[in-house]
Amino acid sequence: MLDLAIFIQNLANGLLIGGVYALIGVGLTLVFGVMRTINFAHGDFVVLGMYGAVLFDLVFGFDPYLSLLIALPVAFVVGMVVERAILAPIADAPAESSLLATLGLSLIIGNLLLLTFGGEPRSVQVPYASDTVRIGEVNLSVVLLAAGAATTAMIGALYWFLERTERGRAVRATAENRLGAELVGIDTRRVQSFVFGMGTALAVTAGVTLIPLLFATPTFTGAIFTLKAFVVTVLGGLGRVGAAIGGGLLLGVVEVLGASYFLSEYRDAYGLLAFLLVLLLRPEGLFGKTVKRV
Amino acid sequence: MRTHLLGLAAFVALGLAYPVLFPSALTIAITILLFVGWATAWDVLGGWAGQVSLGHAAFVGLGAYFVAIGVTEYGLAPWWSALLGMAVAAALAFAWGWLTFGLRGPYFTLSTIAFAEILRLVAINEGWLTGGATGVFIMTLPEPFGLDLFDRQTQYWLALGFAVLVIGIVVALSRGRFGYALRAVREDEDAAMAAGIDPKRTKLKAFMLSGALTALGGGLYGIVLSFLEPHVMFYLLLSVQIALTAIIGGRGTIWGPAAGAMVLIGSGEVFRTTFAEANLLIYGVLILVIVLFAPRGLVGEATRRAIRRRYAKRAQS
Repeated sequence: MLDLAIFIQNLANGLLIGGVYALIGVGLTLVFGVMRTINFAHGDFVVLGMYGAVLFDLVFGFDPYLSLLIALPVAFVVGMVVERAILAPIADAPAESSLLATLGLSLIIGNLLLLTFGGEPRSVQVPYASDTVRIGEVNLSVVLLAAGAATTAMIGALYWFLERTERGRAVRATAENRLGAELVGIDTRRVQSFVFGMGTALAVTAGVTLIPLLFATPTFTGAIFTLKAFVVTVLGGLGRVGAAIGGGLLLGVVEVLGASYFLSEYRDAYGLLAFLLVLLLRPEGLFGKTVKRV
Repeated sequence: MRTHLLGLAAFVALGLAYPVLFPSALTIAITILLFVGWATAWDVLGGWAGQVSLGHAAFVGLGAYFVAIGVTEYGLAPWWSALLGMAVAAALAFAWGWLTFGLRGPYFTLSTIAFAEILRLVAINEGWLTGGATGVFIMTLPEPFGLDLFDRQTQYWLALGFAVLVIGIVVALSRGRFGYALRAVREDEDAAMAAGIDPKRTKLKAFMLSGALTALGGGLYGIVLSFLEPHVMFYLLLSVQIALTAIIGGRGTIWGPAAGAMVLIGSGEVFRTTFAEANLLIYGVLILVIVLFAPRGLVGEATRRAIRRRYAKRAQS
């Protein structure tokens, strides 16, 4: 029998974890929209955030969320430096070059983490790990709620930035038409570094919010998150921020509901199958505009 | 063509001499030869037809599992099950390509990752078929002509045969009609179509050939390891390793992938002592160097330089 309370609880959990997926996907889609780069290292930046929180916990012993105070600016600068040093020089090369370069970056980050922290899974124990909040019949975990609050805040801030600030307008203009943006005096190269920095910072934030929930391993977790980020962005349509949020929430719900009502071993496969179907049937994404290709 | 046949002869001579010179280092040579074959087979699709796949581990796994399950469950000799695995790999490549070759650019690459990942999840979860996450052991193998297939020496000859077969096919391709069709499709699909080449058909054939050859190597890999795990066989990083070996060596060149395998797997074994399991670090660093400074790959840049020098000399005299 389909229990309504359990269904609502699963739905809520799916939406909360989907929020984190959305945060990861938004970073990837923003970078793709502005730079036309498929960032294979995106998931590794998430893992970098997880290990940053682990390191913060080892050194200071404070809550992982406090580590964002250091992690966010550091991630932003690292992202800008990476863009300047690696991606800017090959901006005019075929699209594959940047894909391969970020794939190389992903291998470097993963293996350096492996050398530093070793291969065993790591996590951060927070005192409120098993606390729940009860709303009616539904129990929600505090960790998930905190992650949901953090992602909502980040995405809200991103929206405010993109819609309400001069620099945000420059980012949108570059994404829409790079040449046009240059013609009205926007330094698109600076916008690109800036956006890659933002993408990295978003990924690292997602990693920090996930560390009380999940274990981090140096090489494999990164690949999983990159894959999830692809799923999220392709579900929504590459290059569109709003669509990535929808895609993230959808993936979270599909995974949790699929795992609880069908075969739980195939939890990761549901997202991939949805991804393949969308890729084959609607490459422009579920929420994308249908464009006639010439 | 003659230089390539000479190169192939030199490769075979080197392969024949190796076990006499280094009889104690056969395992690494087998790994190198398998990667020579895989990277060259990958290059048929990735280099010659220009479709980057990051899912070739799926074919490796398919070939390996066919051999292993054939021998342990049905008592099928590995050469028959390897043939069967190749046929299934080609069929799968056909189906996959038929669905996805409408997608251009990065979308095809993304779909190959998902494809291999789904096969890995199936191999992990369908324990009745594949032994699940614990894997399959190959305990006994038939002995054709009294050859012990568990013996490293025998496996070395088989791996050498596999590598030579794949390179030979590519040498034959490079001068044939099909080889030119592949390059035409890579350079410009619309122009190829105007010249009477069906791009989708050409890419499909390349994918099927590439997949079947990779599965053959996979079957051999299964015998060499004699223990199969989904985490190894369908591993995303194995796909990445195969693709990067070919790209670092030089896409669309005959000897690039082979050279890439020798340099990368060879140095990987050396670095294994210093970096332990972080041996893929070298791939990451090298692919960055290649993308930034030598986009044609090691062999591609070397031939370009040699040709330039030859023309410069001719112009001077």
